[in-house]
Amino acid sequence: MAEDRMDLSYRVLDDQLVDVDGRRCGRVDDLEIDGDVGGPAYLSSILSGSGTWPQRMPRRLRRLGVRIFGKAVVGRNLIRVPWSQVEDIDTAITLRAPARELGLAQGDDHLAPLIERLPKS
Amino acid sequence: MKKVFQIALGVIAAIGGFVDIGELVFNVQAGAQFGYLLLWCVVVGVIGIGVYAEMCGRVAAIAGRPVFDVVRTRMGFGTALVTLIASQVVNLMTLAAEVGGVALILQLLLNVDYALLVVLAFMVFLLMMWFVPFGGLERIFGYGGLGLLVFVVAALHLHPNWDDVAYGFVPHWRNSALYAYFIVGVIGAALVPYEVYFFSSGAIEEKWTKKDLGLNRANAILGFGLGGLLSVALIMTSAQVFRGLNVEPKFLGTAAMTAEHTLGQTGLLIALAGMFFAVGGAAVEVCLSGGYSLAQFLGWEWGKYRRPREAPRFYFAWIVFLGLAFVVVATGIDPVDLTEYAVVFSVLALPLTYLPILLVARDRTFMGDHANGKIGGFLGWLYLVIIFVIAVAAIPLLLATNGGG
Repeated sequence: MAEDRMDLSYRVLDDQLVDVDGRRCGRVDDLEIDGDVGGPAYLSSILSGSGTWPQRMPRRLRRLGVRIFGKAVVGRNLIRVPWSQVEDIDTAITLRAPARELGLAQGDDHLAPLIERLPKS
Repeated sequence: MKKVFQIALGVIAAIGGFVDIGELVFNVQAGAQFGYLLLWCVVVGVIGIGVYAEMCGRVAAIAGRPVFDVVRTRMGFGTALVTLIASQVVNLMTLAAEVGGVALILQLLLNVDYALLVVLAFMVFLLMMWFVPFGGLERIFGYGGLGLLVFVVAALHLHPNWDDVAYGFVPHWRNSALYAYFIVGVIGAALVPYEVYFFSSGAIEEKWTKKDLGLNRANAILGFGLGGLLSVALIMTSAQVFRGLNVEPKFLGTAAMTAEHTLGQTGLLIALAGMFFAVGGAAVEVCLSGGYSLAQFLGWEWGKYRRPREAPRFYFAWIVFLGLAFVVVATGIDPVDLTEYAVVFSVLALPLTYLPILLVARDRTFMGDHANGKIGGFLGWLYLVIIFVIAVAAIPLLLATNGGG
């Protein structure tokens, strides 16, 4: 492959997301491509969260997937990270902002107050 | 000099951490049933775990990717999800078996009610894993597990017929389903998948870089290789003490009896202490591996090097995992039976775990000059074939031999 090209499914899809502070904050569960039919298409966002998972399953199992993982709700179980927020693509995808600002790693933020009550946390 | 010392300490911990309940169950039974005949399977298993542990340690050090990151990125969401579920089921069975095993060993030492010891064991593991840092856990259990060296002393003390021992190291076939079942068991016990999850995540916990590749190689080859000696000693002592007596050692304590038979009360105590640390260390490794695998698959923050408040879901995950294992043990299932099932089923999860490791370890995009060489590549593919064959044979043999019994 030429150096100015990148295989997205090889280098980006499923990779670890790391925020600007070095915090692991989810995976690239899907990619969103925008553009008009016949016009140029471009990569607009990274999608992260369990809302995307049914779409990643074989077609026949998708309905079951929705039952297990729930319907996609943008902002809750489906987070859209604009492609412009990507700082670097290496063995992980580094983002330009803190996870909290992007709506990522909400599960950790919800659980943290509970864990903080324990000794030596 | 400091570096050499550091490497030596790591290797010593790897030796002590090599044996777990899988070997204590399968190798002791293999020795009693077939004498030295299955010794070659230990060699096959030890080389296999060495090759794959080295690869995933190298991938972690160079590319910064732990095993489930590699599984997820190379196999895609669907296959990775199947791998995750399969390996977590096996991890849970293994964890329950190890903690139940610790309670059984404590019962032999303390003569207290088993149920009480199960609760005690779970509390101790929970507190230790919460409060003791990663390196501390590795050292406490790794060094304690060296007590198993008593089996090497016992094996030599019993003056084995070295011609027979040497013959056992030559692979050979017997037309018996039970023999084939034990081939799967002894190789499978050495290759349990949690070892690679733990080894690679541990490399990231300890912030390995290119500079640590020597340490990685020493741990994987020397540490696991010498750890394999303990595994050999378990078969040898059992063969010498039980072979021909028509004894089927179905109790965990039987392993320790071979040390008592040879070296008296002191031998028994050292053996039990070694077993306690070896099995306890494995419990810690499997429990953390459950947390590592889930967190890595989902992209959560993880690691004992993070404080609980920094990686809440990871800490929560392994605590829940430990709780689930408690429920399994509380059903009253025999840890020895559970071990047999855990080892046989873990063989099924192996190809799905090992293939992506091999694919990344040979990939120059991520590994640069540290990608697999010719020997590493050849051994990697060879073992993938071996693993595939034993994975296909595992369940039919389990059914045909009624679990070796």
